[in-house]
Amino acid sequence: MKPSFLSFGSWNLFTFLLALLFALPFLSLLLTAASGAENIWGHLLQTVMPGYLKNTLWLMLGVGSGTLLLGVSAGWLISMSEFPGRKILEWALLLPLAFPGYIIAMVYVELLEYSGPLQTQLRQWFGWLNYQDYWFPQITSLGGAVLMLSLVLYPYVYLLTRTAFLQQSATLLEASRMLGKSAGYSFLQIALPLARPAIVVGVSLAMMETLADFGTMQLFAVQTFTTGIYHTWFGSYNAPGAAQLSLSLLMFISVFIMLERYSRKKQRFHAQSSVQTAHPRYRLAGIKAFFALIFCLFPVIFGFALPAALLIQWAIESWRGVMLERFFSDAGNSLLLAAITAFLGVSLGLLMAFGSRLSKHRRVHWAVRLVSLGYALPGPVVALGVLLPFAWFDRTINNWAEATFGFSSGYLLSGTIFILVFAYLVRFLALAYGSAESGLGRITTAMEDASRSLGKNSWQTLKRIHLPLLSSSMLTAGLLVFVDVMKELPATLMLQPFNFSTLATRAYGYATEELLKEASLWCLTIVLVGLFPVILLNRQLRKSAPQNYQDI
Amino acid sequence: MIECRNLSKSYGTLEAVSDFNLSLEEHEFLSILGPSGCGKSTLLRLIAGLEVPSQGRVFLQQREISAEKIILPPERRNFGMIFQDFALFPHLSVASNIAYGVTGTRSEKQKRVRELLELVSLPHLAAKMPHQISGGEQQRIAVARALAPWPRLILMDEPFSNLDYQLRLQLRSDIHDILKHEGVATILVTHDQVEAITFSDRVLLMHNGKLVQDGTPTEIYQQPQTLWASSFVGEANHLTVEWQDKALKTPFGRLNVPAEIGKQTRILMVRPEDFRLESATSEETNATVKTVDFSGSVQIIRVELTGGVMIQVSCSPHSVHLAQDSVKISAERFLCFNNSGHSLEGFSTK
Repeated sequence: MKPSFLSFGSWNLFTFLLALLFALPFLSLLLTAASGAENIWGHLLQTVMPGYLKNTLWLMLGVGSGTLLLGVSAGWLISMSEFPGRKILEWALLLPLAFPGYIIAMVYVELLEYSGPLQTQLRQWFGWLNYQDYWFPQITSLGGAVLMLSLVLYPYVYLLTRTAFLQQSATLLEASRMLGKSAGYSFLQIALPLARPAIVVGVSLAMMETLADFGTMQLFAVQTFTTGIYHTWFGSYNAPGAAQLSLSLLMFISVFIMLERYSRKKQRFHAQSSVQTAHPRYRLAGIKAFFALIFCLFPVIFGFALPAALLIQWAIESWRGVMLERFFSDAGNSLLLAAITAFLGVSLGLLMAFGSRLSKHRRVHWAVRLVSLGYALPGPVVALGVLLPFAWFDRTINNWAEATFGFSSGYLLSGTIFILVFAYLVRFLALAYGSAESGLGRITTAMEDASRSLGKNSWQTLKRIHLPLLSSSMLTAGLLVFVDVMKELPATLMLQPFNFSTLATRAYGYATEELLKEASLWCLTIVLVGLFPVILLNRQLRKSAPQNYQDI
Repeated sequence: MIECRNLSKSYGTLEAVSDFNLSLEEHEFLSILGPSGCGKSTLLRLIAGLEVPSQGRVFLQQREISAEKIILPPERRNFGMIFQDFALFPHLSVASNIAYGVTGTRSEKQKRVRELLELVSLPHLAAKMPHQISGGEQQRIAVARALAPWPRLILMDEPFSNLDYQLRLQLRSDIHDILKHEGVATILVTHDQVEAITFSDRVLLMHNGKLVQDGTPTEIYQQPQTLWASSFVGEANHLTVEWQDKALKTPFGRLNVPAEIGKQTRILMVRPEDFRLESATSEETNATVKTVDFSGSVQIIRVELTGGVMIQVSCSPHSVHLAQDSVKISAERFLCFNNSGHSLEGFSTK
């Protein structure tokens, strides 16, 4: 047994309990779904299911091809070719990640709707009087939702594709050419198949986000599982129905989880080259360079620059009418929630990573894996899964208090921010845990042994070896959790206490009242916060990119 | 068959290959030997058509294939290349890797794959994936893949440097035999002098992008043309000498050489095995043994000459000298170098 920081029986117990706690939403959903008094499955199948299924499939097809087209082409152009502006576009292409789907959707609704600036302008120019005089695509539609999500989700595919191309050893393509194959054939037969696992991971992540999206679908009135769960719960408080919808959605998601994990495994075999020489880039010139530039500019402009500029303009326009008190109270709430969750998330993630590293029990690893699935759970599913047991707990206490003491204890857990933080942790602990695990992975047992053999005890080792080495990954984890909490919409919407709102829920509230311009300050703040992880990602990219180095 | 004329390649201000001339005959085995960073890989890539020369030309059977641009693209040169990291396609099976460059019908491809797997003695690995086989096996498969399309020339870039010592020796001789059997001309790039000497018919010694010496392995070893060459290939003792009273005055005594050479000689180069070390009467001794390292087939003895100069001598393992013994040192064979480090002539005292 290795020398250890604490006694490890308690570590096992801790890790296991924690994981069990987070499995609570799953279990409660399963139980609730099974407890439906009437046979709701049949009812669901007859009524809403076909519509949800159809919309979901179209969404996946649309966003899948959209992100694939934008992400892979941009990834290829940026990593394998050289054209004016490439260096700036390399990071600019990540910027749309800062926009949550619901915010970009709000901006485009405001811009493109009948009374929006674009259509008004067109009517003025062409002398049209009303919508019967001309045809204009309806943004609040399935197609619009596909476009919105493709614009903000393609960076996943771009990022992973780009890295995959860059990490391929240039000698593989050279080997192919030396064996008599043209550059084009070599790309199709060697480079693309090698990048395929990374592309699949990227598209799977985009698909999970699509399936989990609530705000865009709700704003565009596209009925999917997520909006269905929300309405089944808030519309008719039909818990079994909502739980069953949640489970159906989880089945879809699990397909992509498996696809993602399988592809990641495959990726490992492909990245085995020891000599990393950067690819010589194809130099594009003239019309080709122009088209490459335009192609890469398109998602940056429509996924970031234009909506950001519009938000800034609207924020300035609506500045006089803005209720600053309301803004600061919302921002305060968001900050508070994000900070508490980030702190707890990082602490728990670190403890779990330690625990699972030191534990030899299969059960513990299994439990930890369960927690790491949380990230794939859509907000409404988590909210429901957390709400049901907490509400049951509150009701039980309340009944007992009324019966025993004759007064109502109210909503002890489900009406406070406690339940919000808990739900966030279920969703985002995986992020913190992942960072902690990879950070710990860099600290080999030989380092611990070396420190001990140099006369440092285990606490000194923790302080002087582990913490300094872990600090940067912990900061990253904290930042990621913080930003994700700031952006989170559906779970917050479903769980927020009475008279409480965050930046995200207020912005969404304005949007549903068609006060989109008034929401711009709120949206802009969320986007600004969302820029931090993008900057972080860029810095990491820069560090990990192979140098343009030639072995001579 | 291959000829490089005045070939140069610069990266910015760095001249990786500079005014290089090379010619290769059919069936010949040529090594390009030099320290890492000397430009030898770049030279190989220029020949392969993977780099564009800054100046000069490459000819294939008197036909120009590279000049200021690539005239014949690499995929149409029909050269096989073996890379340092083997560059097996990780998503293709061993058999598919070998078949990759082969043209023809399915059964022709299968036949060729079988032949090559037999040739490298690995027929049982056909269905395996590259990550499932060992480094040595990957190397043999890389050779088989390069040979499969019947190349007219094989280019090898440090092909053995990723393998451990024992395996390297074994593979080097196996692959040498396979290539000789196929009769295909080969250019090997390496920084390992033993590899260059044992593998090839002819060695080009390269330093700072320039050709230093072109010769057979024996010539390179026995008649190095510069001091740098003498110490890069094999071990060398360099001794400062002076022309005095019609003889070379060396730290171990006077040597008779023709006056026109002796007058220009500044440095004497003696290989460790060319020193003779013997016991002698006290007036004849000119050196003291400092350390004796026994390493199996030879003993490396470090000796301090009168005047404090240290030299290295290799003796038979049966030699019986001990540290602090006084001994007599003489040179059986030596080379004279002028003050710019170029060889004048070599002499044998017997």
